[in-house]
Amino acid sequence: MKTWEFIIRRLILLIPVLIGVTIITFTVSHVIPADPARAFAGGPKAQPDVIERITKELHLNEPLWTQYFYYLNDIVHLNLGKSYLESRPVIESLAQYFPATLELTIFAMLIAIPLGIVGGIISALRRNKLSDHITRIIAIVGYSLPIFWLALMLQYVFAYQIPILPLEGRLAIGMNAPLSITGLYIIDSILTGNLNTLGAALYHIILPAFTLGFATLALILRMTRSSMLEVMGMDYIRTGRAKGLSERSIIYKHALRNALIPTVTITGLSFGGLLGGAVLTETIFNWPGMGRFAARAVLGFDFNSVMGFTILVAIIYVLANLIVDILYAVIDPRVKLGGG
Amino acid sequence: MRRNNILKKEAGVIAIVLSTMFIVLSFSGCTEQQNGTKMEIKNPTTLVRYDIGDAKTLDPADAYDTGSSEPIFQIYDTLVTYKGNDTLTFYPCLATEWSVSNDSLTWNFKLRQNVKFSNGNDFTAEDVKYSFDRVLIMDAPESGVSWILGQCMDTNSTIVINDYEVQIKLTDPYGGFLSLLPYTVAAIVDKDYVEEHGGVVAGTENEYMKLNPMGTGPYMLDHWTRATEIVLNRNPIYWGGWEGKHPEKVVIKYADEPATRILALKNGDADFTYIPYTNLVDIMGEEGIVVHPFDSFDIVMCVINTKASNNEYLADGEVRRALSYAFDYETAIDTAWNGYASRYAGAIPNGMPYFDTQNNGVPLYNYDLPKAEQILDAAGYTKNYDLDDTLYRFNGTTIRIFFNAGNAEREKMAIMFRGALDEIGILSSVIVEGWPQLLHRMYTTDDWDLMFIGWGPDYNDPDDYIFPFIASADVNGDTYNTGYKNETVDEKLLEGKYSADPAVRAAAYKTAFDIYIQEPPFIFLQQRQYIRPWRNWVQNYSYNPVREWYFYDYYKAYE
Repeated sequence: MKTWEFIIRRLILLIPVLIGVTIITFTVSHVIPADPARAFAGGPKAQPDVIERITKELHLNEPLWTQYFYYLNDIVHLNLGKSYLESRPVIESLAQYFPATLELTIFAMLIAIPLGIVGGIISALRRNKLSDHITRIIAIVGYSLPIFWLALMLQYVFAYQIPILPLEGRLAIGMNAPLSITGLYIIDSILTGNLNTLGAALYHIILPAFTLGFATLALILRMTRSSMLEVMGMDYIRTGRAKGLSERSIIYKHALRNALIPTVTITGLSFGGLLGGAVLTETIFNWPGMGRFAARAVLGFDFNSVMGFTILVAIIYVLANLIVDILYAVIDPRVKLGGG
Repeated sequence: MRRNNILKKEAGVIAIVLSTMFIVLSFSGCTEQQNGTKMEIKNPTTLVRYDIGDAKTLDPADAYDTGSSEPIFQIYDTLVTYKGNDTLTFYPCLATEWSVSNDSLTWNFKLRQNVKFSNGNDFTAEDVKYSFDRVLIMDAPESGVSWILGQCMDTNSTIVINDYEVQIKLTDPYGGFLSLLPYTVAAIVDKDYVEEHGGVVAGTENEYMKLNPMGTGPYMLDHWTRATEIVLNRNPIYWGGWEGKHPEKVVIKYADEPATRILALKNGDADFTYIPYTNLVDIMGEEGIVVHPFDSFDIVMCVINTKASNNEYLADGEVRRALSYAFDYETAIDTAWNGYASRYAGAIPNGMPYFDTQNNGVPLYNYDLPKAEQILDAAGYTKNYDLDDTLYRFNGTTIRIFFNAGNAEREKMAIMFRGALDEIGILSSVIVEGWPQLLHRMYTTDDWDLMFIGWGPDYNDPDDYIFPFIASADVNGDTYNTGYKNETVDEKLLEGKYSADPAVRAAAYKTAFDIYIQEPPFIFLQQRQYIRPWRNWVQNYSYNPVREWYFYDYYKAYE
């Protein structure tokens, strides 16, 4: 099967996945007897005409399956409904918050991937030496520390006790965002030649990106180490050495390429996971991304926003998996896409 | 042996790393600025407040939440206002004088001259008429807030006498009319500006006005980044002028995590913030931070479903009196509110106009279980139901106490109340539900007995409290669907509602109190205290429970 056929087939598979996600989220949020219209309209202070309008808008007086049909129809037309929390269409909220999360995730991965892979290689090549022990400690700390604790400690140390980094936010207090082109402040600052904003954006992303990337770094590090150890014991490595290949060539040309497949899996899935669920990091560092938006939506009973977020996360996961599968084939030509 | 050596090596490395971390943290603690020297004022001309809850809109015609009200109050002006912590006096703002006719129906306002909107347009009586009519025509499709003006005004009410004089003819002689005017819904917009940007369409929001406010107030919008911050700059042509000390810029930041807000206050990024009661311990005694509680008008109640169709016992006023004696008010303040609450007597919170009509604000009921038992016994509700060798009242009927999920204070009080009810022989259960589920139960099913709930002010008049709580559904009261109805009470509350005569209103509210408090449809629990911790470099701050945050008055300096 050709690559593009594989991609199209997987993208078509996205449709039943999304239908499943909508059925589950819609059912969960609608089966419990509730009065969302009155909750959105202000609880006991809600005015009857506002309750009536919201009830009509959400088709709450109609049977559940009819409501679901309307909902699905709206999704097809890219209408995710209105966010009662923000008093604007959900799609507008997601369009604002997704780039913030994407930017944070990219920087987290920029920290996690190179450090994780290099650390993993060093750890494997210098097995049971001091550097292996140090990287092992880093890895253990990385995936044992609760992310909220790490975030709070980093804030406490670097924004309060030794105040060299900002406490929270994407930019300095009161600073205007750069003209929105991509929504990624760092990219937009570069594109608009706004160096002040670029500096502030880079300065503000350090702590949250490190926090978010640290656990992934640990995973990548351990995964790379174990894969490298396994590959380095393979016959073809021994053969390479016997043929007189340089150690550098053996490690980087022959061992690493094969050892990276599990690392790619972890990286891809982590990327999807971080995009969809950086709730704690975003909340603590006051990063106006999707995770924080979703948390506020859940606490504010803003069902439309919660469902919009869920659908977007489902799409991200499916796409992340697809990219991982494609990368397998790129890294290892023996892997055939869609092959049985 | 080799394995043991490796383990020893690892242990050594771990010990070194941990020791280094400990030393770094210990030394870093020494840098804390607690040596008696004052911290340098951060951003000396900018006031920064960290809060929870972003604004929903900056259009006063549709704003009905505190997040939206705060920036609107800085950008727009109203005809009259409150100042400092005074909730009992109306102060001139865009109106300089006002008078009311003897029948309480016609109000005349003289307007301030030489006032301009921040775009340079002149403020005149036409803007006042346009602003009020706009609210009524638009009808606040998002929030429903137009009801506040709609209860006594229509589009014929506001009459322009000349450029600087308006007359307002009320549809009903509403006693609380003047109290409506300092609220955001009565803020004055620029007629020409609104007309240039979408105008007024019945039942439809004005998307432009939501994001692009234009008022006569001291500040104007610099930018609003959703879920991040609202930044306001000085309005250079503000009629109040800029002599004296005032901030140049105001930033309202939104941070959901209390720990982040605490650190922002500690490191001086925040001049003010909101901190939950349970986290106050983290800043108590901290140098440079002021923690002071203020009585708010936010009240907490236990609502009683008095409908006999639901529970025949709670329909009896004597049972409800007994329940009012069975709640341990003081312990609840200590345990649920960490002491940051006070008691109040009836449906009008202490400090609000006419609160003294409610037994001078002194609660009639105190925690007295023997008294509660005595009332129940005298009313014939003796312990007659044997359950596991313990006798209970009401033939073993269980009283269900509800509260909304996530509300820790109400949860503590509900559990505490269940214990007290058990002691006087009443079976009860505590049930937690999500807010939408709870609303469904209260308004659609009638299937509930007691519910812990709260209320905050829309405007500073007792009619915003006592009428929706105590008046019956037949006269458009009974907001909490308690089913309570007493014809004399209804009559008195209508009397208080539709009179601008203070003596008439006071007498009506007093008579109503004397009746309803003997058959209470609520257990009146606490009036919450608000704590707005602030840096000690902020000067001139005062808390007003009905019109918070007037940043123009504050400034940053050590004095």
